[in-house]
Amino acid sequence: MASTTAAAASQPAAPSLALPPSQFARLQPHAYLLAHLSPPASSQQPSIRANGRAPSQFRVTSANTGSLTHTNGSAVVRVGDTTAVCGVKAEILHTEDIASWSVSHSSSSPSNKRRKLTNPTEKPGEDREDGSKDDEDDDNSYIEDFSLLVPNLSLSTGCAPGFIPGAPPSALAQSLSHQILSLLHSSRLVRAEDLEIWYQRPNFGAEELERHNEGEQMDVDAGPEAEEANLEAREIKAFWVLYIDIMIISLAGNPFDAAWTAVLAALRDTKLPRAWWDVDNETVVCSDLVSEARKLSLRGLPVASSFGVFEADAAAGWRAVVIPDAEEERKLAESERKGIQRRWILADPDGYEEGLTQERVSLVVDKTSNGKVKLLKMEKNGGFAVDRKELKDLVDISARRWDDINQILQRC
Amino acid sequence: MGGPIAVLHPLDRADGSASYKCPSTGSNILGSVNAPIELPGRRDALKPEEATIEVFVKPGTAPGGVGERYVEGILRTALGRVILGREKGYPRRGVVITLAIVGGESVGRGGSYLPLLPALLHTATLALLSASVPLSVTLSATVLAVNSAGEITREPSAKEVTTATSLHVLAFTSKGHLLLNESEGTFTFDTWDDVYERALAICHGSSTFGSDGDVAMAETTEGQPLDGIVRDTVEDHIHRDYAWKIDAA
Amino acid sequence: MSSPLILLPGDEVPSEYLPNSSAPLRLGPGLRLLSQPPATKPSKHVLTATQAGILSTDNKRNAVSILSTSNRRYVPTSNDLIIAQVHHSSADYFHCMITPQSPHALLGQLSFEGATKKTRPQLKGGDLVYARVLSTGLGPGAEIELTCVNPATGKAEPGGLGPLNGGMVFDISTGMAARLIRASSSSSDQQEGVAGLVVLDELGKKLEKAGGFEIAVGRNGKVWVDCSNSEDDAVRATVAIGRCITTIDEHNLNPTDQRKLVTRILREMKIES
Repeated sequence: MASTTAAAASQPAAPSLALPPSQFARLQPHAYLLAHLSPPASSQQPSIRANGRAPSQFRVTSANTGSLTHTNGSAVVRVGDTTAVCGVKAEILHTEDIASWSVSHSSSSPSNKRRKLTNPTEKPGEDREDGSKDDEDDDNSYIEDFSLLVPNLSLSTGCAPGFIPGAPPSALAQSLSHQILSLLHSSRLVRAEDLEIWYQRPNFGAEELERHNEGEQMDVDAGPEAEEANLEAREIKAFWVLYIDIMIISLAGNPFDAAWTAVLAALRDTKLPRAWWDVDNETVVCSDLVSEARKLSLRGLPVASSFGVFEADAAAGWRAVVIPDAEEERKLAESERKGIQRRWILADPDGYEEGLTQERVSLVVDKTSNGKVKLLKMEKNGGFAVDRKELKDLVDISARRWDDINQILQRC
Repeated sequence: MGGPIAVLHPLDRADGSASYKCPSTGSNILGSVNAPIELPGRRDALKPEEATIEVFVKPGTAPGGVGERYVEGILRTALGRVILGREKGYPRRGVVITLAIVGGESVGRGGSYLPLLPALLHTATLALLSASVPLSVTLSATVLAVNSAGEITREPSAKEVTTATSLHVLAFTSKGHLLLNESEGTFTFDTWDDVYERALAICHGSSTFGSDGDVAMAETTEGQPLDGIVRDTVEDHIHRDYAWKIDAA
Repeated sequence: MSSPLILLPGDEVPSEYLPNSSAPLRLGPGLRLLSQPPATKPSKHVLTATQAGILSTDNKRNAVSILSTSNRRYVPTSNDLIIAQVHHSSADYFHCMITPQSPHALLGQLSFEGATKKTRPQLKGGDLVYARVLSTGLGPGAEIELTCVNPATGKAEPGGLGPLNGGMVFDISTGMAARLIRASSSSSDQQEGVAGLVVLDELGKKLEKAGGFEIAVGRNGKVWVDCSNSEDDAVRATVAIGRCITTIDEHNLNPTDQRKLVTRILREMKIES
């Protein structure tokens, strides 16, 4: 592979001008990658990326969970040379420390049904197709309203050249943090019920109940509330807050996929100790029995896959950009079918390829138990090459990637 | 529901500026563009052969956070593909786009920026036009919400956003390319395909399905296409600027 | 030419708007040659606009260009006539301000008509000069150089370059400045005025008795007016002229309204004509 490229570069000129492939890759990155992707027809070589992968092939991915013992859940995910470490730390948030709690809570009863009616931020009726798993959708707004998930991503010093110590979080790190947070919210991966810490009211007499109600700002409508409380006899006293810290210790392109896979693996690994409200000490008490700790039950398995578009036009780097009409685009696509490929959609671009691609596509897909593919996020930006047809193909590729990641995560 | 209201060049001191108000989503954006300008102190960070594009999004009430960095990144990538940063006078200089969210719902921590994104894109495009920054094409964008019943709502209100199962922002160039797509929520590809058709009709008026009759239908149901609103705003402004020339001719 | 054609970036220039001559076509600002002409008509020029504006075709010079939005920040270009304000002086140069936001421009102490080490003008901070942009330099951070003399002839060409004494400066838009320069530099025998401006002719006629006035227009959006010949009325007449020009600029008045405005302002300011 490398020999063909070097030969193309040096022409049949003096042999002293021949460059080793590594130098050619640095001097003419675009031509180097193009030469790999479109080898001369005579050479009988397949079109392959400079890193040896086929255009739609992802890098080798490995995951390892539970290696950080002081966290509630952790994972190390390696996608090629990009490595992300994720740790999940759970902390307790008392409801009396939530400023808006008493307002939002005392106006509605602890029952989920009432809350659903009064809170406009609910998403009713979603996802009913695989009913058995997904019926407790209602209280998800707790997670968004009280910020129960706090992801933070840092690109550590030395993960790639250019990351110097002491610099403030780069725009990349900030936007990745936001992407992970908004994906956690929009995919509703974590169930709010897993994060709730309840007080199971023992079945005492009425006077005991009354005494209790005074202590917790519910006395305004204590009359009707007391009756209902008899039925319910339990209430939320605290929440677990999950601090999800992601550190990219080696950055070689496509940080989002690695970071998200690490978050996913770490959350699957997360165990929360059994916790309850101790009414005598007025505090939350946790059990130290490992056998009593329980795992989070996550909603589905959203898998992220990213793509970059590499354009064959070598001059695109310096010439004024010419944008063909949509009609000309179609002609272009036709010529592609005849075998003259002008652009390649590269799955899981590495650092070298990211520098050569402008247009990016990022997909998050999940498969339901009956094998149906659903999309959770679809982003495309920075170019004109990817349109409906291309996106449809990419969804299929991402669905295959889902199977791979699913297997990898099942194993660890 | 009225159409969006766009004003070109409301600010005197900036090279170019625009304000854009979308009544149905309630977003109101004021944007300014300064270009080409010298970016001080970062000579080595400037690209030698093209302009450096900077986008700043200022939320109305709170200080900017990670959400703003993210949406700035989206805008920079999308506009970077449209701005001709290699034209004379632009290399090694900066194109600075500042967008202030003047009214409408503010975006909370981890909240979605998608309902605001079309207004931000339109404001930026109009401001770039009024600053006479060379562009390869103009663009128009829209946001669509799909609810659990599968109904597609154009430019949803804040309340409709919270009840939606998925949100989609699509931006098209004036030549009909899909420049940007941002979708979140739970949806299938077929849903997105319907959304695409609808968004194309909203932005360009001409829908791709069927005969001429269908096209006319699409235009009447969607009102004036957004592409046309951008064009009209610019044409009105130029007419006013060159009234002396046009009247004399 | 038929009604003016307004183009937006990405629009193609229709071929009927191009001058049909065999001579090479000159492309002005805002237009670009598509380097990939569509296969259907490869011989034709396909031009696309890169800025929004009116397409303007000059058949004589065989040129097309886009007239973009007019009221923009002034960007110095060689050979522009501008009104600069001296900020401070150093051993060899006067450091001048062209616009408040741009860095200072340099004006050589000897770049004046007939200036020698001994006879060079003594300008203080705040003094005004009417100067020509000599060079803008290349790349960022380059200095802008001004001159008040044609280096080839040693004369102040065009006339009037040099320090501006007395009078008053008014801020106008850069678009208005360009129109005023066209209006004041061409012959005034046209009926409707040049560039839609009749204000200077009108003022000239009305103020002839009062001693006339001097005017200098800088492309950087400044206009300097002086009526020192009109003795008692000097200040009032200067302010009146300034008001006329700035009002027309702000409200984009047409020739009829311009005449009305001139009459009204001169009456208000009690200047007999």
